[in-house]
Amino acid sequence: MNALEILHLTKEYGSNVAVDDLSFTVKKGQFFGFLGPNGAGKSTTINCITGVSRYVKGDIKLFGIDVNKDYRKARRLVGLAPQEFNAEIFASTEKILDYMGGYYGMRKDERAVRVDELIEQFGMNEHRKKQFRELSGGMKRRVMLMRALIHDPDLLILDEPTAGVDVELRHELWDHLRDLNKKGKTILLTSHYLEEVELLCDTVVIMNKGKIAETGTVKDLTKDGTLEKRYLQLTKDELGD
Amino acid sequence: MNLATNMNWIGLYTLVRRDIERIFRVPTQIIISPWISALLYIFIFGYVIGGKIDLIAGVSYISFVFPGILMMNIMSAGFSHSAFGIYFHRFAKSIEEILVAPLSYGEILLAYIIGSIFRASIVGAGIYVIAILFGIAQVEHLGLLAFYIASVGTVFALAGMIVGLWAKSFEQLGVVGTYVITPLSFVGGIFYSVSMLPERVQAITYVNPFFYFIDGLRYSMIGVSESNRLIGVIMIISLIVSLFAIVWHLLRIGWGIRT
Repeated sequence: MNALEILHLTKEYGSNVAVDDLSFTVKKGQFFGFLGPNGAGKSTTINCITGVSRYVKGDIKLFGIDVNKDYRKARRLVGLAPQEFNAEIFASTEKILDYMGGYYGMRKDERAVRVDELIEQFGMNEHRKKQFRELSGGMKRRVMLMRALIHDPDLLILDEPTAGVDVELRHELWDHLRDLNKKGKTILLTSHYLEEVELLCDTVVIMNKGKIAETGTVKDLTKDGTLEKRYLQLTKDELGD
Repeated sequence: MNLATNMNWIGLYTLVRRDIERIFRVPTQIIISPWISALLYIFIFGYVIGGKIDLIAGVSYISFVFPGILMMNIMSAGFSHSAFGIYFHRFAKSIEEILVAPLSYGEILLAYIIGSIFRASIVGAGIYVIAILFGIAQVEHLGLLAFYIASVGTVFALAGMIVGLWAKSFEQLGVVGTYVITPLSFVGGIFYSVSMLPERVQAITYVNPFFYFIDGLRYSMIGVSESNRLIGVIMIISLIVSLFAIVWHLLRIGWGIRT
């Protein structure tokens, strides 16, 4: 079964085509790398999947459910940890999680159990009462990830989840992500750390200028070298080489 | 599936709860500040200056101006709540939490209206207590009082949402309050009877919706009215319906919130 199916998605901002006739699928249970240089259209695509952006051309389905036509069902299936910190800065860690669970329609008792579980799992007990603005960058990343997981979604979309975190925490987050994938979560990951993608993902799409430049398994893409080498070959125009 | 079962009730409740918790996170700014401001208005205009003025529309000046002061604060609270609420969430990008959740435009809209009416009611209740201390608290028609607070609160919640979606800076956010709400309230008859104005100015007052809001509340509190209340009610309902339609449309197209 496909966890995510994107068909002919086009997203324009005025005369700028951010995503150009994009089609790809992510199978249930995959750890999927979604790569490309800045401005390639990754975040725009993610925003279209999750409802942050509107789109009029193309179709997006999550586990067979159209994200526009049946948005309530579709959004319950996906959790997003965005690239930019977008939590309410004056709310505490536990409040952020509790509110998000509420938005997803979780009952108070369910939320309380889930919040405790995530706080424990991510080692945030000491920081549960701290306001978001008081947390370090690494802690904020954890909150983003915890918030994405609050309603136990089947598909997890992680937009640069390890950006700006130290090596120790990055390894810790990798362990969490591997564990989640093993438990059956489908994960779509964008990252500029290609060794991270090589290490975690099984399949990859490389985007450039709103289109797919290459798609395949990590194994196939690295048969003649590293993922980074292949990535640079495909995106060198964009990088100005 | 009908509307009631299709609603995300817990989601709606959470949106409202978050908004109300925000009010109590900064009570000095949101609640106590308008109470102090109203206390000063009542004391200076009603008690000190009003003490030198004869009866107006058959009642003491302080009793006459009090409903206007109350309504001005209800309008301001309703407007600020939704305008600042939406703008701040846009500014901090936390609006995206709501956009990715399974919440409908109707639920988002309703949550802001409920939050605004709640804040307006809290502010209004405190000002009413001040009126009790001055011995001017009076309610002639309780049902009408509730209607005017809820309906005018809704009008300003919706207007605030439009401004909150439109504003690109905190400065723009304050423009409507400073240049529209305050002046129209002041010329809407808070401090004077419309009969004190020259005839031509009276005609202008009769097309100012704020005059009907203030006059309606004054009637519900002290039984004195200078307007055709039916016109006022029709005006309020028309404003609610049209502003609701506008906000609904803006949310649907994602104006200011969805890229």
